[in-house]
Amino acid sequence: MRLGLVIDLDTCVGCHACATSCKEWNTSSITAPLTDYDPYGKEPSGVWFNRIRHYEVGDYPNNKTINFPMSCMHCENAECVTVCPTGASYKRPEDGIVLVDQDKCMGCNYCSWACPYGARELDRESGTMKKCTLCVDRLYDEALPVEERKPACVLACPAHARMFGDLDDPQSTVSRAVRDRGGYALMPELNYNPTNHYLPPRTRAPVPTNDLGRPSLARKVKEWVNRVIER
Amino acid sequence: MKPSLAVIFLTLFSGSGFGLAALLALDNDFRISGGFGPLMTAILMVCALALVTAGMISSTAHLANPKNAWRAFTRWRSSWLSREGVLAVLFYPFAVADLGWVYFSDKTHSLVVLFLSNTAALIGLATIFSQGMIYACLRTIRQWHTPLVPANFYALGLAVGASILAAARIATGGPDGAIASIAVGLLLIAAVLKAIYYFWIGKPSGTTIQTATGFNRGTVRLLDQGHTFGTFLTREFSNCVTRAAAYRLRIAVFVVGFAGPLALLTLNLEHSIGSWAVVAPVLALLGIGVERFLFFAEAQHVVNLYHGRMPASLPKMPEFMRRKAPAATPLVVHYDKG
Amino acid sequence: MSKAPKIEDHSKQEIKYSTCYMCACRCGIKVTIEDNRVRFIQGNRNHPINKGVLCAKGSAGIMKQCSPARLRNPLLRRPGTERGAGDFIEISWDEALDMLAKRLAHIRATDPNKLAFFTGRDQMQALTRLWAEQFGTLNWSAHGGFCSVNMAAAGLYMLGHAFWEFGDPDWDRTKYFMLWGVAEDHSSNPFKIGIEKLKSRGGKFVGINPARTGYQAVADEWVPIRPGTDAMLALSMIHVLLSRELFDWDFLVRYTNAPFLVVQTPGQKGDGLIWRDESGAPLVWDLKKEDFVSGLEPHSHPALFGEHTTPDGRTVKTVMSLLAERYLSARFAPENAAKICGVPASTIERLALEVAHIAFKESIEIDVQWTDWAGRKHDKFIGRPVSMHAMRGISAHSNGFQAARAIHLLQILLGTIDCPGGFRAKAPYPKPVPPPGKPAKRARPNTPLDAHPLGFPTAPEDLVIDESGRPLRIDKAYSWEAPIANHGLMHMVITNAVNGDPYKIDTLIFFMANMAWNSSMNTKNIQDMLRDKDENGEYKIPFLVVADAFHSETVHFADLVLPDTTYLERYDAISLLDRPISEPDAICDSIRHPLLDLDRNVRPWQEVLIDLGGRLKLPAFTHADGTPKYSGYKDFIIHYESQPGVGFLAGWRGKDGSQSLRGEPNPDQWERYIENQGFFQYHLPKAMRYFRFANKEYLDFAHEVGFNKSADPIIMELYSEAIQRFRLAGLGLYDGPQPPNAVDRERLVTYFDPLPDFYEPLEQQRIDKNEYPFFAVNQRPMMMYHSWDSQNAWLRQIIAQNYLYMNRVRGESLGIKDGSWVWVESHNGRIRVQAKLIEGCQEDTVWTWNGIGKQSGTWGLKPDAPEATQGFLMNHLISELLPAKEGERRLTNSDPITGQAAWYDLMVKVTPAAPGEEGVWPTFALVSPLPGAEAKPDILQYNTRIRKQG
Ligand SMILES: Nc1nc2c(c(=O)[nH]1)N[C@H]1C(S)=C(S)[C@@H](COP(=O)(O)OP(=O)(O)OC[C@H]3O[C@@H](n4cnc5c(=O)[nH]c(N)nc54)[C@H](O)[C@@H]3O)O[C@H]1N2
Ligand SMILES: Nc1nc2c(c(=O)[nH]1)N[C@H]1C(S)=C(S)[C@@H](COP(=O)(O)OP(=O)(O)OC[C@H]3O[C@@H](n4cnc5c(=O)[nH]c(N)nc54)[C@H](O)[C@@H]3O)O[C@H]1N2
Ligand code: SF4
Ligand code: SF4
Ligand code: SF4
Ligand code: SF4
Ligand code: SF4
Ligand SMILES: [Mo]
Repeated sequence: MRLGLVIDLDTCVGCHACATSCKEWNTSSITAPLTDYDPYGKEPSGVWFNRIRHYEVGDYPNNKTINFPMSCMHCENAECVTVCPTGASYKRPEDGIVLVDQDKCMGCNYCSWACPYGARELDRESGTMKKCTLCVDRLYDEALPVEERKPACVLACPAHARMFGDLDDPQSTVSRAVRDRGGYALMPELNYNPTNHYLPPRTRAPVPTNDLGRPSLARKVKEWVNRVIER
Repeated sequence: MKPSLAVIFLTLFSGSGFGLAALLALDNDFRISGGFGPLMTAILMVCALALVTAGMISSTAHLANPKNAWRAFTRWRSSWLSREGVLAVLFYPFAVADLGWVYFSDKTHSLVVLFLSNTAALIGLATIFSQGMIYACLRTIRQWHTPLVPANFYALGLAVGASILAAARIATGGPDGAIASIAVGLLLIAAVLKAIYYFWIGKPSGTTIQTATGFNRGTVRLLDQGHTFGTFLTREFSNCVTRAAAYRLRIAVFVVGFAGPLALLTLNLEHSIGSWAVVAPVLALLGIGVERFLFFAEAQHVVNLYHGRMPASLPKMPEFMRRKAPAATPLVVHYDKG
Repeated sequence: MSKAPKIEDHSKQEIKYSTCYMCACRCGIKVTIEDNRVRFIQGNRNHPINKGVLCAKGSAGIMKQCSPARLRNPLLRRPGTERGAGDFIEISWDEALDMLAKRLAHIRATDPNKLAFFTGRDQMQALTRLWAEQFGTLNWSAHGGFCSVNMAAAGLYMLGHAFWEFGDPDWDRTKYFMLWGVAEDHSSNPFKIGIEKLKSRGGKFVGINPARTGYQAVADEWVPIRPGTDAMLALSMIHVLLSRELFDWDFLVRYTNAPFLVVQTPGQKGDGLIWRDESGAPLVWDLKKEDFVSGLEPHSHPALFGEHTTPDGRTVKTVMSLLAERYLSARFAPENAAKICGVPASTIERLALEVAHIAFKESIEIDVQWTDWAGRKHDKFIGRPVSMHAMRGISAHSNGFQAARAIHLLQILLGTIDCPGGFRAKAPYPKPVPPPGKPAKRARPNTPLDAHPLGFPTAPEDLVIDESGRPLRIDKAYSWEAPIANHGLMHMVITNAVNGDPYKIDTLIFFMANMAWNSSMNTKNIQDMLRDKDENGEYKIPFLVVADAFHSETVHFADLVLPDTTYLERYDAISLLDRPISEPDAICDSIRHPLLDLDRNVRPWQEVLIDLGGRLKLPAFTHADGTPKYSGYKDFIIHYESQPGVGFLAGWRGKDGSQSLRGEPNPDQWERYIENQGFFQYHLPKAMRYFRFANKEYLDFAHEVGFNKSADPIIMELYSEAIQRFRLAGLGLYDGPQPPNAVDRERLVTYFDPLPDFYEPLEQQRIDKNEYPFFAVNQRPMMMYHSWDSQNAWLRQIIAQNYLYMNRVRGESLGIKDGSWVWVESHNGRIRVQAKLIEGCQEDTVWTWNGIGKQSGTWGLKPDAPEATQGFLMNHLISELLPAKEGERRLTNSDPITGQAAWYDLMVKVTPAAPGEEGVWPTFALVSPLPGAEAKPDILQYNTRIRKQG
């Protein structure tokens, strides 16, 4: 099993709902808390597992704005795990989720250097590395209704731009979406083989306009022949 | 990358210490210029140990949660960082035993000493390699992901070690030609390697903001990074030197770290300037300290692409020396234009 | 296998359902509570609005709940200190309410209009309105006048439902969606759900907006329009449609006043009014009978086009003929519109043809039997799957009423109103065009009003003015300056009260509105006005009461602060009598109930109003013997009926809770709501879901349940006779009140066009556009709600500073560098802000995120918070008054028809700041902390599992 996310850039409106719902769940979750620094002050910042960046592609007026959420890609070749000297970082063989054991981490930052996707953030207060857990504690919590055994961000996303599933299973919705929509992984040249994929904006066929009435400039209002229509 | 003093000191001091220990062993093995006497050997060994220890201690300052530092020895099968830790620690019993044996036996060439000193030397060299590999294995930082990094680490560690030895020999009035020549040679090699390195990192990397996001249609510009202030990522992977400053610092590296020691040692070879040569290792350490700062400061983590902060390129070698950049477009995604 | 993840211990947790209040979308939430602390707020999967999803603000509700800006006690300005100095003493609720009740009792017994009670972004207007009505003051309204009255009014005077919250695109069926001037809107989550549905079906989404962020980012086509010109774009599209005869004949004949005959006697009384028979029925030309017949009769065959002479010799023309004459003129040709809108003519033409293609070539059918108003049976609903939505990009201009009407007209011509795939109504809409009910006109001591303070004027007689034509309301709503100001003009209250124009007031109550900051134009002047004293040293606004939950800028100016609870701590009813949360297929309402125990000395404002109602012996809140009728808000909601069987909550009515929508009060109603996860939903039978304006079953039903006073069909008014009556008054051709002032006459004549038209926004007509070449507008960030989300420790990490965004190439041409400081100057003032050069911005437009700038010291933020030191409000540049003109009184900077605040008419110039000129300007005095204010942690570790919170 390779659990992960597929993110639809065609519908992501950049609302940050996934980011805050992630923050909300995980600040009391297995790697809790997600510390905030100077929360009411000059330079508020904090630990987040999911961040949305916004890009502009192309020049005005042929520009497109792309909202681009990024969290841990739960890479197949998770170098972040390989390089971790303490064994705090690990990849679960059964589902591919990459986690950091908070009891083992020594806060050396090395794994964050190894991560190309900026998925790891050090919590200065706990001194440990934190990252997206794929909400593993929701996925396997049998006390939750089945529909809710999903990542918090996926449940929250109002644009349904986040899909969750098994990318190993070719029949899963996520695998199918990736196949059908030309889904891609980021920076494949680095060979991390990320599990998460992105669906590019759709290409839409132009709306036909040649099957409509021709303009008839001669036909002015008064010449409009009425149609008999029963009221 | 944000250069961390702790890590700069770690690599700088421990590298020099290991280099010193290795060359000391080599010198005594082959009694180059007669080798060092037991006292001198012991003092130099203390020196090497002190450097290594200073490096190791400073490295723990880099840890946010040092209480788990001991766990760093557990993953030597996969992690170069762990290997470095294990090897560095392994160095101690041999180095300390060697020191003790030399000191108490007052011999520098007994079988035991040869075994201990050479084992320590080999472990030290392996540690330098691991240290280099900690960086070289990261595909996320193009400036590091090259065999030039361990090669540089070797060259620099050994060059400093050699200049310390040469200085020690000069200071104690011993016959100095061979050792000083080795130091000069190593410094020259280090300088050339460094130059090659700087030339190499000047090439633009294949990964751009376009390929990183998958939007190859047009210019990609960051509109908003999604948080007004910095995050762990923007701080850790921050750009902290301008191109111009980096260029000046590179000159400092070559002048202070290489040219200075080289001049002092060569002058000494020719004219025997005596105790002035002692300054050579100090200069080398200083210059290489700057080199180490630059090593971090110039490293560009790919995540900077996502923040729209990857500079077009790093300081470059003069135009005539530059190769054409390879075309790199690993990924093309098309979508409807707006 | 790895070690199992630590699954959380649910034993101490409780799940409760309620309704989000971080914005007016009002999503259903599922709240996990542990130890009286919120563990997790999720969307409620079963909720009709959000169906399980939740936006950024909703999820960050936790941080609102632990905001250090929460008010803790009633506060009184320390006697002897100056207003706005921020020196408060804590008082008890009894002291506060005694003091207020005494003051109000005096006002009520003497001149009730001396109380002005204005409420901001509340969702309980039904209660505040009732309270004001009972008190007897005309001076009540909610925030709609500065928000979106243009949208509400345009729709209600044309269709019977409206953009804003009274209608929705048919997300499940629409194939083509045009979004006009919307960044986020009230329907935040449903919109995002809907856009995804549309896109996954392969539908097209067109975003018409000078800025490309948020929704426009995912639009298939972005149309960067020049602000304030949308009416022209829509009417030019209509030009294209008409010129190719692309409109829905049947729809126009059956459901609209297009065939009605309009009297054409220019210069005479009665010109431009609908020609009617003695019974008042509009007349049409019957093509079969070849005679005039009543336009209300079924089975007639009205001519859509034509000009006739009446028996008494007057010329009459059909509405459709007038319309075609108007919009076919060269003025609306795409080539001309292109010059105004900045959108290429070819694009305008293509857009028109695209919507026509979808409407007429890709129509859809739903096989359901239904009966139309005339009793005819149909076996299917035929839909034209083009839908549109528009909001403040249209509304916040002084030509917004007409612009919104232009967009509606486009929809009507395409026949896309309340049809499958079109723009659907949400119960209790549609209502008659316009809805019945005129605004109350008379306030009498100790007497409730005889009508609602707000209503729908259809003629000058309905204005709320005295015999000499002077406004009777403090905000001058329903005066000649804003005749159909259906939502009042809250943005004018402070200015008018301070000027004593039309009169002085005594007490001003603001509930839930940050009027000293982001919801007023001209913030700095407004703050000065609040401090302004008369010759006797008395404050010009003698007593200012602010009911808020947090330490806003306005709280700082209050004489009396009444602290409210948060949305997780009180009972609330989201009522059909108010702004409804209904869905097109289902009638819905919902509640909130206390999920957390109170940890502060605060009271829900509803409870306070009920309590005050009792103390003041307002009839609706008092028994005949003078004792209070209701023990509190919960009790009030159960028992209060606005008409027999109709109360605030529509679910589980009747003694045993078995009745929906209408029925006797049910003492267990709250419990039923709570059991049902906080909402009530009544699914309309399939046959009642479309064409409700003419759907017999629906019309009968709407009448029965009390939505509408009659079951008559609702006829859409392409041509507004009501508006024409006002124009006639301006022309001096009306038997009834006429404006005494030339400027009012001129405004009536110019802007009260019975057919939608384009005119240049008023401010822009008065300033030198060479001097001020940029349009300056705002957008709501999706993850921030006005001023009140900057206190949210999570949300403010995402955005703690706003910038002035401008087109990159244009900015560079002015020598402006990305990230540099610039001066932005309007006719009203100047500000220094930081510029960002981007691609997604129309060349003549600059914009910023709304409501980010803060006054230092407020909102629980530290004094050096970037919101105060770097962020800014565009409001400083916007004037509540139009630029002065010789010999003319100062006029409100609002739509001349509805009084809608014209926030986005602003024109500015942008110049680079000199080297060294950095930091935002102007800055405002540091606000001192309130007594007992919570400490602001430097490090926050919110965690319900490990009890440790900074
Ligand atoms: N997240 C969040 N949601 C909110 C609010 C909030 O503060 N935050 N506020 C709520 C309130 S009170 C309201 S009133 C609604 C308002 O919701 P919106 O209608 O979305 O209001 P604005 O954010 O003002 O968006 C106006 C949009 O119109 C564009 N625009 C400006 N002028 C023109 C024009 O002339 N023509 C066109 N076509 N476009 C133009 C602007 O670029 C902007 O994108 O949102 C509600 N929802
Ligand atoms: N420049 C510019 N200005 C604008 C706009 C614009 O687009 N551009 N938009 C305008 C529009 S449409 C609107 S609606 C206004 C909105 O502006 P406001 O109505 O001022 O909205 P908020 O800033 O959200 O302030 C509402 C107040 O309600 C308080 N509050 C929050 N929750 C509660 C509660 O539970 N109980 C009580 N009693 N109080 C509570 C908050 O603390 C805050 O003080 O801004 C207007 N101002
Ligand atoms: S919640 Fe969905 S739409 Fe919003 S930013 Fe995240 S992925 Fe995009
Ligand atoms: S995204 Fe980064 S942290 Fe996540 S698995 Fe890949 S390398 Fe590791
Ligand atoms: S920071 Fe923690 S998880 Fe990361 S490499 Fe170091 S020990 Fe491993
Ligand atoms: S999967 Fe869970 S942890 Fe990962 S980004 Fe989504 S909410 Fe956060
Ligand atoms: S849109 Fe967001 S803030 Fe508004 S009610 Fe829904 S969840 Fe709450
Ligand atoms: Mo609003």
